[in-house]
Amino acid sequence: MIWQSVSQAVFAASPSPTPTVPGAGIFSSSLLLSLTVWVPVAVAIAIAAMPNPRGRYDTLMKQIAFFTNLGMMFVLGIAYNQFQSFLPTVQYEEKVPWLQAVGATYHLGVDGPGMTMLILSGLIGIVSVLASLGVRERVRSYFCLLLLTQATVNGAIVARDMFVLILFWAAAAIPLAMLVIGWGGPRRYPAAWRLLGYWGLGTGALVVGTMTLYAASGGGSFDMDVLLKASISPRVQLAVGLFMLVAAATRLPLFPLHGWARDVYSEAPVGVTVIVAGSASRLGAYLLLRTLVAAEPSAAHLLSPLLAALAAVTVGYGALVALRALDLRQAAAYLALIPGGVTALALAALQPLSIAGAVLSLFAGGLAAALIVGVCATLSERAQSRSLQVLAGLAPRMPIVTWLMVIAGLAVLGVPFLATFDSELMTFFGSFKTQPIGAFAVAAGLAVAAVALASLWRRVLFSSPNPDAPGVSDASLGETWYLGLLAGGLLWVGLFPGGPKLPGTDSPLFDQGLVNVMAAGISDIASPYVLPTPGSGQ
Amino acid sequence: MKNLVLLPEALVAATAVILLTAGRLGWISPTARRSLPAVVSLLTLVALGIELWAGATLGSYFEGALVQDRFALFAKAAVLLAATIAFAVVDWTAEDSLTIGLAMPLVATFGVMVAASAGDLVALWAGLELAAAAGVVMVALRRPDLALRLVVTGGMASAMLLIGLAFLYASAGTSSLATMRAVLFSGAPTLALAIPVFFVISGLAVRAALAPFQLASIPASLGASPLGAGLVLGLVAAAAATVAIKLVAALTPIPTVYSTYLEVIAALAMVGGGAAALAAQSPRARLAYLAAGQIGWVAAGLVTHYRSGLAGSLFLLGAFAVAATCGPAVMGRADGGEHALAGMGALRPARAAGLTLAMLSLAGAPPLAGFFGEFAVAAALAQSGHFALLALGVFGSALSVAAVAGTLRVMYIQSPPDEARRTTRPPVLTGLSSFGAVAFCVVIAAYGILSSPILGLADQGAEALGLR
Repeated sequence: MIWQSVSQAVFAASPSPTPTVPGAGIFSSSLLLSLTVWVPVAVAIAIAAMPNPRGRYDTLMKQIAFFTNLGMMFVLGIAYNQFQSFLPTVQYEEKVPWLQAVGATYHLGVDGPGMTMLILSGLIGIVSVLASLGVRERVRSYFCLLLLTQATVNGAIVARDMFVLILFWAAAAIPLAMLVIGWGGPRRYPAAWRLLGYWGLGTGALVVGTMTLYAASGGGSFDMDVLLKASISPRVQLAVGLFMLVAAATRLPLFPLHGWARDVYSEAPVGVTVIVAGSASRLGAYLLLRTLVAAEPSAAHLLSPLLAALAAVTVGYGALVALRALDLRQAAAYLALIPGGVTALALAALQPLSIAGAVLSLFAGGLAAALIVGVCATLSERAQSRSLQVLAGLAPRMPIVTWLMVIAGLAVLGVPFLATFDSELMTFFGSFKTQPIGAFAVAAGLAVAAVALASLWRRVLFSSPNPDAPGVSDASLGETWYLGLLAGGLLWVGLFPGGPKLPGTDSPLFDQGLVNVMAAGISDIASPYVLPTPGSGQ
Repeated sequence: MKNLVLLPEALVAATAVILLTAGRLGWISPTARRSLPAVVSLLTLVALGIELWAGATLGSYFEGALVQDRFALFAKAAVLLAATIAFAVVDWTAEDSLTIGLAMPLVATFGVMVAASAGDLVALWAGLELAAAAGVVMVALRRPDLALRLVVTGGMASAMLLIGLAFLYASAGTSSLATMRAVLFSGAPTLALAIPVFFVISGLAVRAALAPFQLASIPASLGASPLGAGLVLGLVAAAAATVAIKLVAALTPIPTVYSTYLEVIAALAMVGGGAAALAAQSPRARLAYLAAGQIGWVAAGLVTHYRSGLAGSLFLLGAFAVAATCGPAVMGRADGGEHALAGMGALRPARAAGLTLAMLSLAGAPPLAGFFGEFAVAAALAQSGHFALLALGVFGSALSVAAVAGTLRVMYIQSPPDEARRTTRPPVLTGLSSFGAVAFCVVIAAYGILSSPILGLADQGAEALGLR
C-alpha cells in the first residue's frame, strides 16, 4: 500500500506547476548554492582568525558552528520549499567561466537527487555539531575542519561541472584525516592513513575517468551537461564506468574497497563519524548515479551485474562480520556498510523504480548509517567501554540510548514507518526484475543483519547486567538531540514520504514531500532504461 | 614605453649590485639593516608593478637576444612575485648574511628574467647559469661542502647543456630560437638531433632537481638557510623549467626526439617525488621532494608538445615558483626534524597557515594554486592521449598529499614542546613576516580563484612561443 503511494508520487508527476506551498516565493537568491558551499568556509576562516586566549571562547566557537549550520539548514529549507518538483531541469543554477582554456566552469545546480542530498547534508551538519559539543581539546581547529568538511560535501553535491566535482571530492579527505588524527581513538593513525589511501585511490580513479571522458568527448568542456551527454563508444564508456565504480566503491564504501570504514567509523570522534557515515560516504552512490547510471547506459548495462555482486557481498560481509564482532563500534561500522550496499543494488537494477529507490536510499541510508554509528559511539562513551564482552543489560540504565539503538537497527534493516523501508521496497521491487540473484543475495544479507542486530540488542541491552562493568549514564541532552534528529528524520520521511496533507485535501501542509522533490530529474536519469511500451512505435 | 620594459630587470640587477657593494664596504648602518628587507621587498614589488604595466608591450632587444612577449611577461611576473613575498616572509635571524641573502635571490630572479625573455640559446644558457650561481653562493654561506657538491654537479649539468646546445646550434645552423623552430619544420627527427636533446634535457633535469636527478640540489637545499633553500628549490628550478619550456617550444616540429625521454623523466619525478616526500622525515626534505614532484608535472605538460600542454606547464610553473621559493622561507629553521614544527599552528598561526598552503599547493591538493596548474596539465595530457602519464601523475599527487598530512599533524595536532626541551627556536615574529605570510596565503588561494585570466595569459605565452 505504502509503496504504491510512494511510486505513484514519484511517477505520476505531471508537468503541471508545483502545488502551492505556504511561504513559497518569499525568498530567492541566485547565489543560494554558493552560500551552502562558501559560508562554512568563510566561517571556518573567521573561527581560525578569532583570538582565543586559553580557550576562553571555545563555547562561542561551538555556538558559531552550530548557528552556521542552523542558518544553512534554514536556507536549504527555503530551497527545498521553493524547489519545483515537477521540473526535470537543473534548478538554482550558477554558471561562471573558470578555467576557460581547458573548458572548466564554476557551474552549480541541483535536480531532485541533488536537493535530496543537500537536505541530508544540512541535517547531518547540524547533527555533527551537536554530536561534537563534548570536544574539549583544540576546539578551534576541530570546528574549522568540521566546517571545511561540510563545505566540501556540499560542493560535491551541487557541482554540475566535473572539475568542480573533483575539486570538492578530493578536498574532503584532508580535513577528515586531520580530524581523525587529532581527535580519534587509540588506533587513529592507521585509520587516518587508510582513509587517505582509499580516498586517494578513489580520487585518482575519478580524475582518470573524468579525463578519459573529457578526451573522448572532444576535450572542449568539463561541464556535466556536455561531458555526460556526449555520445561515446561503449568501450570508452566501459573504461569510464570502471573508473567511476572504483571511485564510488572507495567512498560508499563497497567491498573490497571498504578497508577504511571499520577504522574510521570506530576510531573517529562521534561528530566526524556521523558526517562521514551520513553524508560524505553517500557521495559514492551519488557519483555512480550521476556518471554511470545517468550518463553511460551501455557501461551501466555491462557493469550492473558486477555492481549487484559488490552490493550483495558488501551487505553479506557487513552483516556476517557484525555478527562476529567483539567491539561495539566495529560492529556498528560493519552494520553501517549495509545501507550503502542496498543503494548500490538499487543502482545496479537500472529500473526507473529502483533508481528512485536509490535516491531515497541516499537520504534514508545516510541517516540510518549515521544513526547506527552515532548511537553505538555514544553508548560506548557513556558506558565507558566498547567491548561486547563487558557491555551487558544496559536497557534499564540507558532507556534513551536503548530506544535510539533499536530505531537505528530497525532503520538499517528497513522496517515499515521508517524512511529506509520505502527505499528498500522500491529497490527490491525494481531489482528483482533485472538482478534477481543480487536482490536475493542482498535480502539474505539483510536477514543475517537482522540476526546480528538481534544478537547485539540482546547482549548489550536486554541481557543480565554485568556487575564488573564500569558505571554508565544515559545520553545527555545534546546527544539525545543529535540522535533524535536522525531518528526523527527517518520517521518523518517514513511516515510522510509525500509530505503531510491538509485533512481532506491534496494540498501540502508545509512540506511538499521528499519523494515529490526527489522525483524531479529522476525520469531524465532513468529514461535510457524505460522499456518501450507496446504500440509506441519503437 | 618600449624602453620601460627592461626597467624591472635593471631595477633588480642594480639593487643586487648595490646590496653586494654596500655590504662588502660596510655602508649599511645597523638602523638601516632593520628596514632593508622591507625596502628590497618593496623595490621588487615596484619591479613587478612595472612589469605588469609595461610588460604588455611587445618588443625585441639587443638584436633579438632578448624578446618581450607574453611568455616573458608571465614568467617574469611569477618570479618577481615569488621574490617579493620571500623577502617579506623570511625570518632574517635565521639567515647567514643580510646583504648576500637579499642580493642572491635578486641575482637568481634576474637570471630567470633573462631566460624568460631569451631569444637565443646564449641568453637562455646565461640566465640559467646566473640563477644557479646565486644558489651556490647562498648554500656556501652555511655549508661550503654542500656548495662544492652543488658546483661539481652543476658543472656536469652545465657541460651537458652546453654540449647539447652546441650540437643543436650546429644542426639548426642558428642560435635564434624562433629561426631554429622554423628550420626544424623542414627537418626530420634524426639521431644526430636526439642525442644533443638528450643531453640538454638531462642537464636541465639536474638543474631543476627532478627526482631522481636531485644529485646535489636537494641535499644542498637541506643544508642551506631557509632563503637559500627557497632559492635552490624554487628559483633555480623555475629557471631550468623556463629554459625547458622555451627549448621544447622550439623543438615541437620534431617531438619524437624528446617526448619519450621527457615522458620517462616526468613519470619518475611525479611518482618518485611523491614517494620520497612520503618517506622523508624532515619537513624541509619533504618540501623539497614535493617541489620535485610538481616540477615533474611541469615536464609532463611539455610531453604533449601542444599549446594547451605548454600553457598548462607555464601556468603551473607560476604556482610552483611562488610556493617552492616561499615555502622554505615560511618554514624558517627546521633543523630539528619534524618536531621543530610541533605546535607551530598555535605559536605562529600565520606562518603555519602559509607553510600548510605551500605544501598542499606543491602536493597538488585542491583548491590551491598547484591543483589548478596540475589540473590544466592533466587536461592537456588527456587531450593528447597520455593516459598512463596522467595516471602516474595522479598517483604521485596522492602520495604527496598523504605526505603533507604528516606535517600538518605535527603543526596542528601536536602540542608545542616546553621551552626547555625545544631544540629549534620558532621563527621570530615581526610585522613584515606576518604580513608576508598572510600575503603568501592570499596569493596561493587567489591563484585558483583568478585562474581564468592567469591561465589565459599563460595560453598567450604558449602562443607567443609559436605554438598553435
